[in-house]
Amino acid sequence: MKTLLITGANRGLGFDFTRRMAETGWHIHACCRAPVQADGLQALAVKHDVTIHALDVADFSQIDALKTKLGDEPIDVLFNNAGIMETNQRTLSLDHTNQMFDSLDEDEWMAVMRVNTMAPLRMCEVFVDNVVASDRKQILMMSSIVGSIGSNQTPRWYHYGTSKTALNMVMRNLAADLKDRGISVVSLHPGWTQTDMGGPTAALSIDESVGGLFKVVETLTPNDSGRFIAWNGDDVPW
Amino acid sequence: MPTILITGASRGIGLESARQYAADGWTVLACCRTPDTASELKAIGGVSVHALDVTDIGAVDRLARSIDQPVDVLMNNAGQNMRPPRGLGDMNYAAWSNLFAVNTLAPFKMIEAFQDHLRRSDRKIVLNVSSVMGSITDTSGGHVAYRSTKAALNMVTKVLAGDLAGDGIIVFSIHPGWVRTDMGGPSAAISPEQSAAGMKKVVESAGAGSNGRFFDWKGDTIAW
Repeated sequence: MKTLLITGANRGLGFDFTRRMAETGWHIHACCRAPVQADGLQALAVKHDVTIHALDVADFSQIDALKTKLGDEPIDVLFNNAGIMETNQRTLSLDHTNQMFDSLDEDEWMAVMRVNTMAPLRMCEVFVDNVVASDRKQILMMSSIVGSIGSNQTPRWYHYGTSKTALNMVMRNLAADLKDRGISVVSLHPGWTQTDMGGPTAALSIDESVGGLFKVVETLTPNDSGRFIAWNGDDVPW
Repeated sequence: MPTILITGASRGIGLESARQYAADGWTVLACCRTPDTASELKAIGGVSVHALDVTDIGAVDRLARSIDQPVDVLMNNAGQNMRPPRGLGDMNYAAWSNLFAVNTLAPFKMIEAFQDHLRRSDRKIVLNVSSVMGSITDTSGGHVAYRSTKAALNMVTKVLAGDLAGDGIIVFSIHPGWVRTDMGGPSAAISPEQSAAGMKKVVESAGAGSNGRFFDWKGDTIAW
């Protein structure tokens, strides 16, 4: 039996990834902020080996509490999927005017950094021994091409973009630091997808994006550690 | 003569840059947290010294309002490292947040506050003092907090370069080298004089092609 621990599992890409893994027989610890409202996840847990946990990754004491619940259970894949564009998703438009030039909102920027950059490191700190104790020993970071400095398609969202750039740096550090313990760490770019974050006009369906990511993850080897991989298997520039 | 505004000018690379630009006759607006103790900075002739904690957003706005002259070059030099460096297993998240505030958000705020001063100037150059340690391509383990703040600063540089290109403003990141300063330590490779002189040359030769790039103090490109 293989075990997945995933954050932000109640909707969008996280939910669909969880569903696919559950349907292939994985044992899953699925985390989200409000399990009571996670209807899809609740339905999935009825049919499959899915345990739902309440977890707001910005509250590190909740991460510690989850560790107490899971103990030393091996975790084959730790998927740091939870991420935010802004603290209150105010609109489905892609303007995000609160993070454009000339509108610095320090508290908002730091809140995005905490969820998108710092919480994934905290999750790794807390669960690294569980991953080491597993067969697969994989850590996945849900990044984005919006965090790619070298890509020239970058939308001008300072908070979200810098948080994903910094996450990629965290990933590279972990890949180097954890190599000797046999752990592979990668960043993933899901494509611009029709989720609550991506909006209805996005290029990819959730099915296309997660189908691609699922294949990427299935075929990951230790040689891939430190890579930034798109949903279609391509490398994304730093 | 042109004007340069330098943050973190009381010591190290900032102090030496203030010296070299002043020696060339530039108007130097030198910012540091505590001018009272910045005796070396105040000893340079012709430099106007301003008290500024770059993480104090209100103070940055007040300084910008109080300076009524074009700024040709904005040198976002103030920066910090995490001492001791922490990583997986002992990260200090409050210190990491503070590092983001100093190394990533403050340069962005400075550019917002001084954008009109830059537009009014002839040269319109912003250099964000970054570090090769912020190169994701080259990174090895260790110093994850510092590295992440400088990688994020490089992203700020890249996005600003697009946002401000229409105004003719040129923004780039620069790696000052491994310099014998309080941050670099006594066994570092080059002197503050070499680093500041090198970066000054990069500024002198900067053009539209420099916008959104990442150079070292010799003008060579560093990979993101």
